Amino acid sequence: MSRKVTLEINGERYEREVEERLLLSDFIRHEAGLTGTHVGCEHGVCGACTVQLDGEPVRSCLLLAVQAEGHQLRTVEDLNAGMGEELHPLQQAFHESHGLQCGFCTPGFLMSIEPMLNTAADLDEGEIRAAISGNLCRCTGYQNIVSAIQLAATRMQDGS
Amino acid sequence: MSSETTTKPRRRASAKARVPYVGRPLPRVEDRPLLVGAGGYVDDFERPGMLHAHVVRSEVAHGRIRSIDVAAARRLPGVEHVITAADLPPVEIPVRLFPTDSSNRTLQPPLARDRVRYVGEPVAVVVATDPYLAEDAAAQVAVDVEPLVPVLDVEQAADDDAWLLHPQLGTNVIDRVTVGGDEAEVARLIRGADVVVRKRFRLARQGAVPLETRGLLAEYDADANALTVWGAAKVKHFNRTILSDLIGLPEASLRLIEGDVGGGFGARGEFYPEDYLIPWLAREIGRPVKWIEDRRENLLALNHSREQQWDLELAADREGRFIAFRASVLWAQGAYSRTHGSVLLPRLILLHASGPYRWQAFWGEASSVLTNKTPAGTYRGPGQYEPTFVRERMVDLVAREVGIDPAEIRRRNIITKAEMPYDSGLLDLDTGLPMVYDDGDFPLVFEQLLERCGYDQLRADVVRRQRAGERVGLSATSFIEMGNPGVFEQARVEALPDGRFVAHVGIASVGQGVETVLSQVAADLLHVPIEQVAVRYRDTATVPEGQGAFSSRATVWGGYAVAGAIRALQERAVEVAAERFNAVADEIEADGDSVLVPRGRRRRRVPIAELASEGFFRYEPGSASHVLTGGNVALVRVDPGSGDVVLERWWLAYEVGRAINPLTLEGQVRGAAVQGIGGALLEAFAYAPDGQPLTTSFLDYALPTAAESPNVEVLLVELGERREGDPLSGAKGGGEGGIIGVGATVANAVADALGGAAGELTELPILPETVQRLAALQAPAARGGAKPPMRSAS
Repeated sequence: MSRKVTLEINGERYEREVEERLLLSDFIRHEAGLTGTHVGCEHGVCGACTVQLDGEPVRSCLLLAVQAEGHQLRTVEDLNAGMGEELHPLQQAFHESHGLQCGFCTPGFLMSIEPMLNTAADLDEGEIRAAISGNLCRCTGYQNIVSAIQLAATRMQDGS
Repeated sequence: MSSETTTKPRRRASAKARVPYVGRPLPRVEDRPLLVGAGGYVDDFERPGMLHAHVVRSEVAHGRIRSIDVAAARRLPGVEHVITAADLPPVEIPVRLFPTDSSNRTLQPPLARDRVRYVGEPVAVVVATDPYLAEDAAAQVAVDVEPLVPVLDVEQAADDDAWLLHPQLGTNVIDRVTVGGDEAEVARLIRGADVVVRKRFRLARQGAVPLETRGLLAEYDADANALTVWGAAKVKHFNRTILSDLIGLPEASLRLIEGDVGGGFGARGEFYPEDYLIPWLAREIGRPVKWIEDRRENLLALNHSREQQWDLELAADREGRFIAFRASVLWAQGAYSRTHGSVLLPRLILLHASGPYRWQAFWGEASSVLTNKTPAGTYRGPGQYEPTFVRERMVDLVAREVGIDPAEIRRRNIITKAEMPYDSGLLDLDTGLPMVYDDGDFPLVFEQLLERCGYDQLRADVVRRQRAGERVGLSATSFIEMGNPGVFEQARVEALPDGRFVAHVGIASVGQGVETVLSQVAADLLHVPIEQVAVRYRDTATVPEGQGAFSSRATVWGGYAVAGAIRALQERAVEVAAERFNAVADEIEADGDSVLVPRGRRRRRVPIAELASEGFFRYEPGSASHVLTGGNVALVRVDPGSGDVVLERWWLAYEVGRAINPLTLEGQVRGAAVQGIGGALLEAFAYAPDGQPLTTSFLDYALPTAAESPNVEVLLVELGERREGDPLSGAKGGGEGGIIGVGATVANAVADALGGAAGELTELPILPETVQRLAALQAPAARGGAKPPMRSAS
């Protein structure tokens, strides 16, 4: 069974005729062509496919595309949109702190963390670790990711 | 491009007091596309007219195939093709390393023929216009199997009366290797020793489990009779050769392209059945075919590793000085000899058994045993993590037995600098020559580790907390790593007219930062800003032959290949300059990206790009392998109620010769350490008695998360000798050292926390139920008297 779905990703409207069973992650990757969102497990554990739905992090592999009808989505491609060569402070901090290696999990981390960045400067390390414990990374051991979040949060606080 | 300029050489030379890139903690040049969502992983590639494959896998661990009915699947809409073994030529997936007669008789067919031997074994492939339809159709393929008795336990599989996986062999024990001297002499030494500890150890199956599952996209161009395959990793040139043999196309007609790779860790990138099936289908059908593994498949189909059983006897004197050990190991190879064959892992395991310690004698044997489980291969720190766990557990047990501190017993046994060159009694894996430890300083690294963590104070704190009833434990362990193996590596460096240089290398990247470190080396040799250097490695059509990325070899092998190619480029430029400027070649000096041509009392500086376009070099030094050493200290707390193990503090020292990029190297070490923690506390591929895998999702196969991972304080020890003009001098291949000692270190710290029950801690991973069981063996209040007194560690 297919039906029409209309949703907004990164400010752009997508209207497609899709099967009802199509995962939102597959819609984002293969219908919208936004391949920055990665699929690591397709059962909601690894967090690699995390995107923001109306500003809140969600796992796009646990939603059907039709469930996102009428909602606003944001993916990693939007983080530094309009910033030219510059990176979003969180991306910049991941770069400087070596918070990524293979990079496959990275978009999921970025999209999970970004909404909490404004308050993250007040979080201690344990709270940050708890906040990202829903995202798996097999390369870094997390320590540099925690450092990157602390760095970005401090900069955002200083800047605001 | 600027034309030639004239300078006084001396002034120019002093102006070049540049800060070298090598040795600096530079953020990576690879990062940007990965951060903005512009990476190119295999599933990000698409080709016009592309079809999608889904692999039908055996649901039975051991059985005879009666029939496979694909009719229903073929009838479904969108289905273009369904194949079984009957459609394929009689090829088998070869062993890449150290094939033997037995391994060649136990190879895996791309699709199961008359028997299935593990759950997850490919039996058919469905190709459809859409991945969802392909999966629907795969569910309609009916595989009728007459079940046979599955052989799951490695010890039972090795029994003479075990059911056989490959009856033509007459046994499940396919190969056996030994290490060390005279077995009878070792037995005599053990019989005569004051202290002898005997234990059996077991390690569970674990695996690489990269965050990106495997995938392939193959396209056949009938006009050119050429195949292009996206999704290669690690050893793409080897795989091109294998594919060429199997599919019957010359290597020149095959192009393997490596995109971004979402983690390798030893398992990804080897040649698996799918690496034959998908290209074969693309050629057969005449349309591009993509296959993306799902997570369940990944946990069933990618090489497993680590599963083994040890029987070990270790003899020492009353002062805790080691005399001899004897080891007997069963390595659980799984259902087929695949990728790494039947002797590589047993050899690696035995090579790392003796460790950094001196022995009067030792003897070990390791057998490769078939079981009805996923075939095994390497996983980060292969054959290193496991023997280090076993040996270091034994060292602590001996320390308890003779009543000295774990740090002190290691001090007494670690090979000293004065004893080097030290004949290890081992033979090099690649050359077969005796291995002599002749560099590094094992005690220095261990002492620096103890000093950094404040070991004596930590020990005092732990003893105080234990007396107060806390279940805390401290461990200090030592490891060695035989790194940097290989035969050759090649590079081609191009000089572009705009002043940039492009290094094409035959190594591979699995996300470590190879482009960055090779760019650092090249920029230092060429005296150019790092932005003017690019490293290319992705496409077999344009990069030189190479051996790939494994065993921490990419930086040193790739680096020396690049350095040689730059030298060749400079030499070519000097030759051309001599001709063009009618000068004597000996008087022309290469200086980074230019050559200096004498002109009267001054010298003319000419950019290389105006003289030569490329240089090529094949680095083939004989053996370049070396021994690295390091150690770990961990402070843990266990909860006897929940069985939880909390890693309070972690220190890791690693002698790397010289760190080309401390930022990325520390990143490698930290990441490896946390993987090792997964192996110590969480990860195990579990099977039901009928051979059904029980860990087929991330809910069952638990990877470490940020919540339980510790901060790892890394101490890089750089003892490598530096030579002028050689930015790589002193560097050793590093990256795996972070994982090697971790299982041992967790286990010894937990054992310390468990006090009198420590001797029972002989398995990895240490799951909560084990902690609960062992904690119940002895209540904390009763422990004080049973524990031998600690002597001062100093």
